[in-house]
Amino acid sequence: MSMDPNTSGISTEELVVEAREAQRDLKPSKLQNLGDHFKREWQLYVMLVPTIVWLLVFLYKPMYGLQIAFKDYSIFRGVAASPWVGLEHFQTLFGNDQFLRALKNTIIISFYGLIFGFPMPIIIALMFNEILKQWFKKSAQTIVYLPHFVSSVIIAGIVITAFSPSAGIVNTFLGWFGIDPIYFLTKPEWFRPIFVGTGIWQEAGFQSIVYLAAIAGVSPTLYESAVVDGASRWQMMWKITIPSILPTIIIMLIIRIGNMLEVSFEMIILLYQPATYSTADVVNTFIYRQGIQGGQYDLAAAAGLFNAVVAFVLVMTANTISKRYSRTSLW
Amino acid sequence: MRNLTLTLAILGSTAMTTPAFADGHLPIVEEPLELTVHMHWARAQGYGPGGDTSKIYPVEEVAREATNIHLIDKTSGRNSTDQSEAMNLLLATGDLPDIVGGAKIKQPVNEYGPQGAFQPLNELVAEHAPNIKAWFDEHPDIWNAIAAYDGNVYYIPYLPDGKYARAWFVRQDWLDALGLEAPDNVDELYETLVAFRDQDPNGNGEKDEIPFFVRDWEEVLRLLNLWDARSTGADVYHQFYLKDGAVAHPYAQEAYRDGLANIAKWYAEGLIDPELFTRGSSARDYLLGENLGGMTHDWFASTSGYNIALADKVEGFNFIPYLPPKSVSGNRIEENRRIPMKPDGWAISFSNEHPVETIKYFDYWFSEEGALLANFGVEGKTWDMVDGQPVYKDEVLNSGQPVNSQMYLEGAQVYRGYPQDYRYEWQWTRDSARKGIELYDQEDLLVEQFLGVAFNQDEQAVYDKYYPSIETYMLERQQAWILGSGDIKEDWDAYVETLNKMGYEEVLEVMNSAYKRQYGG
Repeated sequence: MSMDPNTSGISTEELVVEAREAQRDLKPSKLQNLGDHFKREWQLYVMLVPTIVWLLVFLYKPMYGLQIAFKDYSIFRGVAASPWVGLEHFQTLFGNDQFLRALKNTIIISFYGLIFGFPMPIIIALMFNEILKQWFKKSAQTIVYLPHFVSSVIIAGIVITAFSPSAGIVNTFLGWFGIDPIYFLTKPEWFRPIFVGTGIWQEAGFQSIVYLAAIAGVSPTLYESAVVDGASRWQMMWKITIPSILPTIIIMLIIRIGNMLEVSFEMIILLYQPATYSTADVVNTFIYRQGIQGGQYDLAAAAGLFNAVVAFVLVMTANTISKRYSRTSLW
Repeated sequence: MRNLTLTLAILGSTAMTTPAFADGHLPIVEEPLELTVHMHWARAQGYGPGGDTSKIYPVEEVAREATNIHLIDKTSGRNSTDQSEAMNLLLATGDLPDIVGGAKIKQPVNEYGPQGAFQPLNELVAEHAPNIKAWFDEHPDIWNAIAAYDGNVYYIPYLPDGKYARAWFVRQDWLDALGLEAPDNVDELYETLVAFRDQDPNGNGEKDEIPFFVRDWEEVLRLLNLWDARSTGADVYHQFYLKDGAVAHPYAQEAYRDGLANIAKWYAEGLIDPELFTRGSSARDYLLGENLGGMTHDWFASTSGYNIALADKVEGFNFIPYLPPKSVSGNRIEENRRIPMKPDGWAISFSNEHPVETIKYFDYWFSEEGALLANFGVEGKTWDMVDGQPVYKDEVLNSGQPVNSQMYLEGAQVYRGYPQDYRYEWQWTRDSARKGIELYDQEDLLVEQFLGVAFNQDEQAVYDKYYPSIETYMLERQQAWILGSGDIKEDWDAYVETLNKMGYEEVLEVMNSAYKRQYGG
């Protein structure tokens, strides 16, 4: 443990230990203490109840249904009465080239999203932080938050129009340079850039709020002393702002990695065509087509379960790495 | 007033109803009986006007007075517009309303009926439903087509009337401007499209015409017919069809290879809308409204409507149906027709404690009185009987709203099980469309339809295992070929080989075994 040169003699740890011991002496009994605690803080617990109920109802209860991934599920017979089939659905999935392709696409699209999409809100937040004129800052923020509140259906409509070969703004622009119109939305090679780009455009502004909040929490004294030391704005950003919000960045990164396979599939459904399935079909759209539309819930549950297991492994790995190297972690 | 109208309606219809005893049974019950209903279809997710279940259809009010049976809405999945999803949701809850109805119920009803979710209707119909029985005695093939794999019938379908649905349309004024005739065969069609592309038929000096366009991209596949291939065997896209008495898929035939190669060629030459796959449902509005589109394949009635809607906007606008061009072998067919029975309608769930009353109620909609109510709405309100014919009132025909949309709000033309009456649509079909329908009626253009099969569980398992992936693959390749990535003629052998590897033969086998069992072919 490194000692902080600025504090005298007693370290924080020692203080905490002392305080605990002092408390223990005061404690009449654990139970009574718990009672007192509830009496004092009951409002907080009441506020917690809805969240716990929500968790139980929407996240824990449905787990009972996960067993259909191992069953020959009939909607009408119900979960309990359907016969077990072991790992048959997983075998079907991994024997299906289209599932493997969807898995590959999911990983690639998520990876693109991570590489290009993750830094963007941080950059936006840092840029906002440098803006001095309040009116400009406010209006710019509103403008970049706005797409987040627009429905995916409308965003998809905008994208389809913007990339249309005859009237789209993109092809009109390319036309000025003598490039023939490209029918972007039927070209497999263009799907991922368009999809990832749309996602960034839609969400980056809104996601920057978290970082702006973190930046607002940085102590002004740090900047003041930096100014006294003659630091430039650029140096302040690199030496003060970014290190200060690093824990936030890492937590967001871990969460992001955990959600990596959850590609926003409603947007994909709105934008893809059979012609672009080869790059656009992700696990969730595959589940949707085969499972929900085709009524094969058991197969869809198997694919979903697999997705969840991969996400769990990813988030655990990211957390462990982060804990080891940066001492910031979710738990 | 309503009572009086109703009495008149009953008197009027009894006088000329064919099954004499049918209406004598009304009301079905002495005391009002409430039955819950799931009714999920495209125009309304719920049993109420436009899906608003706090209101009651005018038609339902009349039916209540006539039968004493009150339908109470209990529709699942009302926030989704996907009927299959809503139905699956309903089945998963296990708490079924007395009557399960709406669109796309055939497959689930026939799959879960034999498992006990729905009541078999064979005996109920034979004993208590004289009107339904009379209808199906005349159409035994349709009775076969709606049966489940165990031989029982579990739902009473919505039975569309009329023959043709979509037709080939051309801008007659463009033909006139270029001194051309409506194309009679595939070669002339090609030349006409080239002329539309090159000779500036809209006269604005720009080469901006889209010679052939469609609203649903799948509709472009109708061009396959011109090379003696098929695009589908039923009234929805990409379906199996009957080839020499056996079931086959159109996209695995050699004629398809040649047809699609030509579609790809036409697409590359700019004869087909370059934005085919993303234009979507507004294609027709936009391309006709902007005076850009030359030909399409679309619904008779709604497409003819543009002649009125655009009369002021586009000078000389005249978009009329013409006979399907003859194929390379001289065959003239119109592949798209109204299917005689839909997968829509209604069924009696296992938990319904009044199956006899319910089947009598179903039967009511097959009686003269019930069928008129189901087709035209409330007599005296939306229509009158004139010389023995139901005739819409002027305010319905000239309200500026399409008659079908008005009917959906009245509670008529709702997807209950009932026989549709073509007189309903004929009355508001535009003159140009009527001429077109008469033109199509002159020749026998219809092809045999594949009405579908009911799988047993083993067959269903095979189909579910292989077919969704096969169809995905077929459509992927299809679009790629049309867009010019890959040459279908070069890729064909590999394509067929992949299909076989994916289980196409196995799917065909279960299709054909189910077909033989059901139709005795």
